[in-house]
Amino acid sequence: MPVWQVIYEELQAVNPNFEIISFAQDSGGEADAGPIFDAGNVSYTSVIDVNHHISALYNLVNVPSAVWIDEQGKIVRINEGTYAKNHGAFGTDEYAPIVRDWVANGADSPYVWDREKVSDKIFQRTPEAEKAQPTFRLGTYYFNQGNDEKAEQYWTEAQQLDPTSWNYLRQDLKYEDGGSAGPEWRERRTQIEGAGGSYYAPLDIEPVTDN
Amino acid sequence: MKPVSQLGLALMSVLCSSVALAQSTTVLYNDRVVEIDQTLPDASDLWVKPEDLTRINDFELKPQGACLEDLCIPVLQDRDSELYVQRQGQDWFNVTELADMLQQAWIADYRDGLWSFGGIPFERRGFFESAEAPEFALPDREGNLVRLADFRGKQVLLVTWASW
Repeated sequence: MPVWQVIYEELQAVNPNFEIISFAQDSGGEADAGPIFDAGNVSYTSVIDVNHHISALYNLVNVPSAVWIDEQGKIVRINEGTYAKNHGAFGTDEYAPIVRDWVANGADSPYVWDREKVSDKIFQRTPEAEKAQPTFRLGTYYFNQGNDEKAEQYWTEAQQLDPTSWNYLRQDLKYEDGGSAGPEWRERRTQIEGAGGSYYAPLDIEPVTDN
Repeated sequence: MKPVSQLGLALMSVLCSSVALAQSTTVLYNDRVVEIDQTLPDASDLWVKPEDLTRINDFELKPQGACLEDLCIPVLQDRDSELYVQRQGQDWFNVTELADMLQQAWIADYRDGLWSFGGIPFERRGFFESAEAPEFALPDREGNLVRLADFRGKQVLLVTWASW
């Protein structure tokens, strides 16, 4: 998210090996996400991921989400609803401090997870949900060809195949009456949370003491 | 896998069809959009020339089979099979059959000649079993390819967000 810029500058001064790669999950491309990157004066690596490829690849189901990747290309944290700061109605001030700790202490940070915990934390998809990925991709192709009817058909099918993905639902709702945070989204969220589910994978920021 | 009777029918339909230009075919895989000039007409499966197979998913048809890095799916090339046929001296390879064998999800819009493939589970073992960060290569806003492999030696915070 563009609001990471302040933290990026701060942490790069501490450790120049720290990098942020930010992926806008936006099927509308530059027109939708570009101005927001620009407004944030972002200097870290910025990608507009029209196909939501990164969410598919890392089994992420909502935004914002984050993954920590160490110097050897190993994942040391994954699948968390993450914010740079508390924005009032949403966000949290609890996450940025643990990123700071990781940048300062690397593998010795108590917030680094071992391989087993990472494997446990990776979101698991059903075979139907796996099929949602190429289905959503097909819908996005049509969307960018201007074929709204086919886009809607395959985006809807993707949501049915993978009801756990908030990305698929909200990307679609962006282009409908009510928008991505409108009544349909609220109803779904209330329904899922009422059934004991979570909108975001909850933050698990207890330090690992036996590291 | 298809039941044998259906498989026989599928093979029959291939055997009976003449090699002709099918409608234009587009294949989506990862961030790729691959246009295919010529396919072997088939009601349900996607048959392409071996060079197009490589353009789609990096698999190469070698004497020992269809190979991607250290993975090789055996393909007999002296006879027709569910993966391979030869017509008028041209080799054809069944991409969707390979996908089924690899448990790779796919979907087709047959009317528009569009095929979309999901990730290959074999390539994702390292992610699930040993916390390896999956590789990607996507263009940044200036069009430069961003590859995770280029960030070795860095601590990377990968974040997703959206305008919606």
